[in-house]
Amino acid sequence: MTAEPIARTPTPRPPGRPMLKEPHPTDLKPYRPGLAERLYLPLLGGLMVTLKHFLRNLFNPSSRYTIEYPEQRRDYSHRFRGHHILTTRPDGSVRCVACFLCAQACPAECIHIEAGEHQDVNIEKYPVVYEIDMLRCVFCGYCVDACPEEAIIMSNNYDMAYFNREQSIVGKSDLMKPYTFDEERLGYRPRFPEEDAKRARMRRDAFDLVTAAKEAQAREEQKSAH
Amino acid sequence: MSTLAPTSETLPEVSASPATPTDFTASAGDLAVITATGKFPAGSIVAEEGLDQTTWIVRRDVLFDLARELKTNPATQYDMLLDLGGVDYPDRDERFEAVYHLLSLPRNARLRLKVPLREDDAAVPSLIPIWKGIDWFELELWDMFGIRIDGHPKQRRILCHEGFQGHPLRKDYDAARRWILTEDKMYKPDFKLPEGGDDLFERMAINIGPSHPAMHGTFRLMAIMDGETIAASEVEIGYLHRCFEKMSETHTWNQVIPYTDRLNYCSSFINNVGYCKTVEKLLNVEVPPRAVWARTILSEFSRIMDHCVCNGTTLVDTGGLTNFWYLFQPREEIYGLLESCCGARLTVSYGRIGGLSQDLPPDFMERSRRLLEMIPPFVEDAEKLVNKNRIWIDRSVGISAITGEEAVNWGWTGPCLRASGVAYDVRRAHPYDLYDTLDWEVPVLYGGDVYDRFRIRMMEIRESLKIIKQLLDRGMPDGPYIVDDPHVALPPKEACYTQMEAMIYHFKLIMDGIQVPAGETYQMVEGANGELGFYIISDGSGKPYRIKVRPPCFPIFSTFPRLINGASLSDAIATLGGLNVIAGELER
Amino acid sequence: MNNMIGESWVTTQFEALEDWAQRNSFWPFPFGTACCAIEFMSTVSSHYDVSRFGSEVVRFSPRQSDVLLVAGTINDKMAPVLKKIYDQMADPKWVISMGACACSGGFYRAYHVMQGIDEVIPVDVYVPGCPPTPEGLIYGILQLKEKVIRDRKKHVRHDAKEQSETGKETIERVHAGSNV
Repeated sequence: MTAEPIARTPTPRPPGRPMLKEPHPTDLKPYRPGLAERLYLPLLGGLMVTLKHFLRNLFNPSSRYTIEYPEQRRDYSHRFRGHHILTTRPDGSVRCVACFLCAQACPAECIHIEAGEHQDVNIEKYPVVYEIDMLRCVFCGYCVDACPEEAIIMSNNYDMAYFNREQSIVGKSDLMKPYTFDEERLGYRPRFPEEDAKRARMRRDAFDLVTAAKEAQAREEQKSAH
Repeated sequence: MSTLAPTSETLPEVSASPATPTDFTASAGDLAVITATGKFPAGSIVAEEGLDQTTWIVRRDVLFDLARELKTNPATQYDMLLDLGGVDYPDRDERFEAVYHLLSLPRNARLRLKVPLREDDAAVPSLIPIWKGIDWFELELWDMFGIRIDGHPKQRRILCHEGFQGHPLRKDYDAARRWILTEDKMYKPDFKLPEGGDDLFERMAINIGPSHPAMHGTFRLMAIMDGETIAASEVEIGYLHRCFEKMSETHTWNQVIPYTDRLNYCSSFINNVGYCKTVEKLLNVEVPPRAVWARTILSEFSRIMDHCVCNGTTLVDTGGLTNFWYLFQPREEIYGLLESCCGARLTVSYGRIGGLSQDLPPDFMERSRRLLEMIPPFVEDAEKLVNKNRIWIDRSVGISAITGEEAVNWGWTGPCLRASGVAYDVRRAHPYDLYDTLDWEVPVLYGGDVYDRFRIRMMEIRESLKIIKQLLDRGMPDGPYIVDDPHVALPPKEACYTQMEAMIYHFKLIMDGIQVPAGETYQMVEGANGELGFYIISDGSGKPYRIKVRPPCFPIFSTFPRLINGASLSDAIATLGGLNVIAGELER
Repeated sequence: MNNMIGESWVTTQFEALEDWAQRNSFWPFPFGTACCAIEFMSTVSSHYDVSRFGSEVVRFSPRQSDVLLVAGTINDKMAPVLKKIYDQMADPKWVISMGACACSGGFYRAYHVMQGIDEVIPVDVYVPGCPPTPEGLIYGILQLKEKVIRDRKKHVRHDAKEQSETGKETIERVHAGSNV
């Protein structure tokens, strides 16, 4: 729906004319309760409200608002900013080219990258070390916004708890582990309409390549077994 | 919808993107008025041209008399001091600048006073006799910059701890240099007992907080109790001072946005909007109508969220726990909407300079409409339990009442001021976004007590729902969600993946930040607590030079000792709930 | 108890009962300072309802609670207060550090913010997030339960010596001027 020109009220009052009509009050006019209130009668109305909620929740379990975590989980959207994921190329290697834009964009400076030379001259660099300190991260999503390769995205996973500080520094292999083309597991990532479908297909193809390779290997093993 | 009907005068046809109207011209003639009084030597007050607001550079020796004149002269009537902040210019001769922002409520005029100070003689006179609310602002000036306040009853550190050495907001102070606080250095109050102090029957000095269930956040209330009555009290804050202003100097313009989220964390989107609006003014960019529409709606939802928390926790403190559960459910529902937009529930970081961080989700309208139906039953239930309940009435009517005039002198804004009878709302006084195109009222009550502060928040929730409904009925505007300027906003991702030029702009924006032209401005939004102002100075680089936040609850909380002296302890707790002091905003 | 009587089948069963009761009724002390406190309030509200795990009773007294749930930024002014509260809590006690600021200072590498509460007190579970979702916090509480089960046989207690060492190291480091 296109925006029609919005009619505006004229700017409030030309200068010189008072803004507030009366001077500031110097006396108080507090609330004066009526007779029924002084006799505590509206308390019965209040009791009816709580009784209504109580009975409704007692006899109708679906009217309860409680989400019984961990059996039930809240249906967060596909933009949820959760645990990070490093995406992979079709051959399984990390898509990141160690450009350091995510490390620069991060307000908490929680991303630590060490770059190394990649054999393929078109790709040039890859991260030898890629670590995110999960306890520093504020889950703002700036790294995802900054990445020019869609190499880092976020999942909708919020189940993280660590027992010590060393465990919380998540390395490259742990960041790549949850990567899957399953749309349900993914959260905050760049979205644009035309490319969206193309990338979904690419992710499916990548998965298919891996599956195809596994099936081919299984066939080979079967053949050699005979 | 009478405001939208065409009137006889031709309303200007506004183009699709409304600019941010900030009509600050009302104070233009004040310098002539002041000079005409003849009380000030020539050259002691000089107007600085070319800024967004009338600004005068004032010599320190005439400051006190000028302030008194500005307040008492019927032609100027500056009855409220909004903000006092310091700025450090190490390259200048006069290194420091104390910046005062004044507001005249009757005339709706704003004025900025700058007092340049030399480093070896950095002191300003205390203006507490003129505006009582300036007390804590002056303490902060001393704490952060080392500018002495002459005549202050008790100059001490307010945000940093007593063992802190140095003045952190000076440019030569390393942002990460910490100091340890040991027990012997902790702040000890010295009380001024009221008259008849020796007759007090049963005196006990108690300490409430900083870790206390009724302290919303971390404040320390030290009180001398006479039985159940508070004879004298003092408040200590600074237990959540997170150095927002220093952090903003070390991060780029867009990186500051997650920090602004954590200011008033109950309604974090409003902080985003306030900050982005100020920087957009410096950049002189116009936000696309779609983003303006979305910002208005989400600000109003955030306001509803904040009022729910405030009222819920006030009732918890006075014993009404049920309402807490009832009022937290609307919050959860609004979280669902915010989370579908940007991915986070509480600290959204959804705004960006120039618009929003990403487009609205396709189901935004349906979700918002569903919310409009879901929220009123909870609010009505909460009100039914409490509004006519004599227990609540006895506990809140007449408690910590403050008249409108005194509240203005203390620097109050927002729902607390409107409960005392002064109808000041930034959305009406200096309209921004779409507020002046909508049909809504500014609710006002005249009791000034806890009961009215509670009721006014409920009334404001209803007004916000009205605003949202009108905007949803108007329909979502098409178009971009962020300004189309590659020097300000990150280019769209598909361009970034395919075109070299977009990639270069993207790289420069991330690495260097937006290059905001040098200048300064003060812009404000109506936060859930009152006027949330940002005074931002840019030096032309990719990082802010100085950001001073005008927290609405800072002057409100400084009134707290005056409100509770002579009241009972349980009244003090009820009062604190009604003031809605959010520590993140109070102490930045 | 086992010191008085000595290990026997009866006392081990009693200890098992005691531990079962303890880990299913963590009474939290919500040391809430900032935004995470609001998410904690959401956790105890009806939408997530931490009372399903026995933690409904929030006790704001260190003597009556067993889990110190630090939610929000702790800065240098608050640190002695936190230490005092922790010292006043009775054994057995556990500490959950909720949110980025309590775990590590978050993105506040600043002059007044403690870079993680483990500078002054030992922490059992770190829950990351800014703020963590209520489900994330409940996951942290469940992880604490697992930890209590694991530690049961070892009877791990927070060593008084351990906590003073961490505190001393921090003081030395900060006085030397290098910290964050």
